[in-house]
Amino acid sequence: MGLYMVKKLILSIPLLFVISFLTFILINLSPMDPAEVVLRAQEVPQITEELIAQTREALGLNKPFLNQYTDWLLACLQLDFGDSYVTGESVWSLIGPAFLNTLKLTLVSSAAIIVLSIVLGVNCALREGTLVDQSIRGMSFLLTALPSYWLASIMIWYFSVKLDLLPTSGMESYASYILPVTVISVGYIGIYFRNVRSSMLNQLNEDYVLYGRASGLSEKKITLHILRNSLQVAVSIFCMSIPIILGSTVVIENVFAWPGLGRLSVKSILSRDFPIIQAYVLILAVAFVLFNTVSDIINAALNPKLRKEF
Amino acid sequence: MNKRVANVLVFMLSIMLLAGCGQTPGTGQTDTGSAKNEVKSELIYASAKDINDMNPHLYTGSMPAQGMVYESLVENTVDGIKPLLAESWDIAGDGKTYTFHLRKGVKFHDGEPFNAEAVVQNITAVQSNAEKHSWIKLSAKIKSVEAVDEYTVKLTLSEPYYLALVELSMTRPYVFLSPKDFKDGRTKDGVNGYHGTGPYKLTEHKVDQYATFTANEDYWGGAPSIRQITAKVLPAGETTLLALQKGEVNFVFTDDRGADSIDVAAMRQLVDSGDYQLVRSAAMNTKMIVANSSKADSPASETAVREAFWHAIDRETISSVISDGTETAAFALFSSNVNYANVSLKERAYDVGKAGDLLESAGWKPGNDGGIRSKGGKPLSMKLYYDSNSSSQKIQAEFIQDAVKEVGMQLEIIGEESASIANRRATGDYDLLFNQTWGLAYDPQSTITAFTSESAYKHTTSGIAQKEELYSKINDVMVSTDEESRKVLYADIMRIVHDEAVFIPLTNGSVTVIAPKNLQGVSFKQTQYELPFEQMKF
Repeated sequence: MGLYMVKKLILSIPLLFVISFLTFILINLSPMDPAEVVLRAQEVPQITEELIAQTREALGLNKPFLNQYTDWLLACLQLDFGDSYVTGESVWSLIGPAFLNTLKLTLVSSAAIIVLSIVLGVNCALREGTLVDQSIRGMSFLLTALPSYWLASIMIWYFSVKLDLLPTSGMESYASYILPVTVISVGYIGIYFRNVRSSMLNQLNEDYVLYGRASGLSEKKITLHILRNSLQVAVSIFCMSIPIILGSTVVIENVFAWPGLGRLSVKSILSRDFPIIQAYVLILAVAFVLFNTVSDIINAALNPKLRKEF
Repeated sequence: MNKRVANVLVFMLSIMLLAGCGQTPGTGQTDTGSAKNEVKSELIYASAKDINDMNPHLYTGSMPAQGMVYESLVENTVDGIKPLLAESWDIAGDGKTYTFHLRKGVKFHDGEPFNAEAVVQNITAVQSNAEKHSWIKLSAKIKSVEAVDEYTVKLTLSEPYYLALVELSMTRPYVFLSPKDFKDGRTKDGVNGYHGTGPYKLTEHKVDQYATFTANEDYWGGAPSIRQITAKVLPAGETTLLALQKGEVNFVFTDDRGADSIDVAAMRQLVDSGDYQLVRSAAMNTKMIVANSSKADSPASETAVREAFWHAIDRETISSVISDGTETAAFALFSSNVNYANVSLKERAYDVGKAGDLLESAGWKPGNDGGIRSKGGKPLSMKLYYDSNSSSQKIQAEFIQDAVKEVGMQLEIIGEESASIANRRATGDYDLLFNQTWGLAYDPQSTITAFTSESAYKHTTSGIAQKEELYSKINDVMVSTDEESRKVLYADIMRIVHDEAVFIPLTNGSVTVIAPKNLQGVSFKQTQYELPFEQMKF
């Protein structure tokens, strides 16, 4: 198992290199001269040729392309993503706190999504076709269809303004988590619990369930067996949901004034703050690779066959 | 087997635990939720953006916030230039030497004395970065600045400049930061602190969350009555309205891009609730649509199209219906109460027929089914960009889209962040976009100087036939020392851009404040970018 993990992790390294190179190239393909972008970003009212030349020199944009890339990559490995074009502060000092804020939101939401999807999925599968199953599925259908922007506004209006229970926005207390986490989770739970439910249903008809019952295993034990076998698909989905949420919270962050990665990235894209965009893309890409690897490892832990095939 | 299941469960549990740890916020913050009931001497205003870098010698900071913390030598008021940090000043006969007598006993927020030496260091720091301040003509004309004695400063210009005091009164860059905050005697590469001399001190700043300003007890004009002002970042207007209703924020005003985060209907709803009052300034600026005359492949580069667009818009309806009567219709770039702007210009009324005729004679033929006009196979189609944070611009854009369709123009309307709009303006990547003049304290000179500025209206003005004439007149008027010739030059400049219809006026806009019902002394400055918070009290 240990060897498997090491192999998996080593295999992801070349992928990360490719990603970093692509990130760097894509930004450099942008038709705008970074030096000009810097000056514009600093809201310099009048941009002259001299200023542009001066800025190019200061940013090291005169160096050959590959040198620029290796400089950037080596710095990135030490978490030094350069300085923001707009504020001149280090990218890490800007993206670090924003990343942490979004990560908190993502982890709390993911926990809610995983727990509720499994609980609902298992319950619906065991009660297939009953009123409980049908009403939960109906509700989820409805909730998934609601645009999160609208749902967020309605929830703020009802829970914060009408009932005066929760803060409308910000992240100043524990209570601030409740509304954004709910809005994020609702959409995902509605989809994911169906996955759990359908793979549970598939497993229910497998021979081993029949044998289990025949040999007198308790229903509780059988359910656990089924759950474990049906989780394989779900584990991949759950693991991938973390980077997906990480990268898609911008609407929620705007409505709830959450000082996170989504807002920072949109702000940076609009002001063409390339170093932040680069760091953002890189962080998300690493998150995808990392969680993909984690899901492989968990699945391997659940299913020894996967390890042997490797 | 069961062990592995347990492992998975432990993994999930640990994720949840981690997440649980993640919930702990840094420190116990003040609970803004109780603002409505407890706080009586505090204002919490909503702002779509963070206050950003408060360095007063650069341009990324929020102007209302900078206005609270920093002060200039003189102040621009309704009655002209008045003393602020300088108690008085003498101008030498040649118009090149200004001697300022500074107010005594003024201290920066960090306790450092405000004196001639501090003035010299600040102005020198600004001048060392002069290329960034080229929009302010004064920056190119300051020859030297020296301390005569502890409280006297002599500023020498290379040539007389009639706007010297006006430009010294602006929110930036000629305002004063404690020299202790300088980095190696300079401010252009960042500063160590934000200590000004103003009525409020910046005491806390959580990026993208909030910034707290506390009353300056030692303020030379007396400690302000409102003890604390918090700028809370609320990017979505819907949330701002809800937060106002709940009392988490209790103040909101037109931002420095001229956008109101909540619309007229929402404002009325707040006032009707009895908790809030709505205060509007006198007309401060002209809200307009700027046409890109230099984008060759765009219909907006044709004078006839711009004129037709001008004629096709019913400003009275915008004024009475969209702005609910709060803004008046504008028919020229500057309203006649702006200095030098009392000029007779060609009248262009709302006239759909005239618009059609103009297009017809310019060769734009109606489409088959009376739809979109075209010329040489090219459809009469343009893009109009508006600030997505401004609820009124969106409605106006929709209204105008519909109005110009009547005359066979197709308008695609696109909402973007203000930074993106500014970027389009600077790079020329637009047909039409919403903008506003710079406001009473800056009009007409700064708006007109901006005609030649790459980052402002260069793309707007550089496509017109008389551009050379326009630019040379702008150059002349800025160095002119004779009032009469200035009048003539300004009139010519205004006539050229009016005839070319590159700035299409909509309404005369004002600054709007929504404040708690019992807040007194809500007033305005000459600039649309700051508010005199120090004069307000409960």
